Amino acid sequence: MFAITPNILSNFMNSLSRYVILLSLILICVSIFLIIFLENDYYQGISFKIMFIHVPTAWLSLAIFLIMGISSIVGLIFKSPTAFTVARSLSPIGLIMSIVVLVTGSIWGNLTWGAYWVWDARLTSMLILAFIYLGHILLLYSFEHFQKADFAASVLAIIGMVNLPIVKFSVDWWTTLHQESSVLRIGGPSMTNDYLITLLVSFFGIFMLTIFWFSNIFYIIVEKRKIERSKLLND
Amino acid sequence: MRIIKLNNQIKKRFIFLLIIFACFSTSIFLISYSLKDQIAYFVEPTDLKSMDGIENKYLRVGGLVKTNSLKFLDGNWVFEVVDQNQNSVNVIFSKTLPNLVEENKGIIVEGKFIDNIFVAEIVLAKHDENYMPQSAIDKLKEEGKWRGN
Repeated sequence: MFAITPNILSNFMNSLSRYVILLSLILICVSIFLIIFLENDYYQGISFKIMFIHVPTAWLSLAIFLIMGISSIVGLIFKSPTAFTVARSLSPIGLIMSIVVLVTGSIWGNLTWGAYWVWDARLTSMLILAFIYLGHILLLYSFEHFQKADFAASVLAIIGMVNLPIVKFSVDWWTTLHQESSVLRIGGPSMTNDYLITLLVSFFGIFMLTIFWFSNIFYIIVEKRKIERSKLLND
Repeated sequence: MRIIKLNNQIKKRFIFLLIIFACFSTSIFLISYSLKDQIAYFVEPTDLKSMDGIENKYLRVGGLVKTNSLKFLDGNWVFEVVDQNQNSVNVIFSKTLPNLVEENKGIIVEGKFIDNIFVAEIVLAKHDENYMPQSAIDKLKEEGKWRGN
């Protein structure tokens, strides 16, 4: 585990990134094709199709935070630079994902509920998640030395992990305007198979795009540090 | 010798993080537990029976629109919100309803009780987590498995 330096991980991901982006583009094209030709919902009509962006990005924004939190724990305990760099390169992706969730959600909400925004438990906790992502990025860039920044941001990521079960189970614990989970729930998915397959294809497409994006940000950070180090050595 | 020292440090850091996490999650749990009535977005008609002083208090009530109760009378929408225990609330609403408000579907009304009638200022449609095309419903109806309306 300690043998994986940021450099090795960066090179490994770079060697795979062209296949990842190809797979992602294929999956996204297939999912767009599927979404266009899918039959509308009996009750919500065409407006439910925004779910195929809303739900995958919502899953990813939670999953990215979980990985960020775990790598922060690993980084703090084992003082591993790779884990810190993983956490550092994930937070901008998570912020964009959570903004996409909030925007698509409020469009969907206006079409179905009749309101862009309400202060129920699910929406509020999701907004807090977006703010924690923003705080993580701000902490990362508000220190002169990146080791200090990594330490402060990791503590925020670990504390912020408390919010994850609140986002996920808010619809079960309290009464909310937001509907309950449709896929990851007790008793199996509450949608027909054609919807479920479309949702999964769209999820994997966005997931592969996230991996590609992550490997690029990771590569940039590693290369920047190399340049800084060589500058320090030359001075 | 060096390995033992490193392990001790790792253990110390782990316990430190565990304490931080436990303290923080306990405090969040206590806050959300004590505020659970405020966090809940709406109350059901059944909950209203055990609440006192509901007259003139700004509330949100949620449930289903009762079958055959949605009517348009003298420029106002009039309907009943009913929950699983068959307790209901009479609602009057003077603005435009959201598109998805239908009988036997979820609804949340926001407003006040005036003379035992709920005067709603905002009405929101609440849809559930089931998604299916009309063709799947027709198929279920043919097989006699459809339990909705």
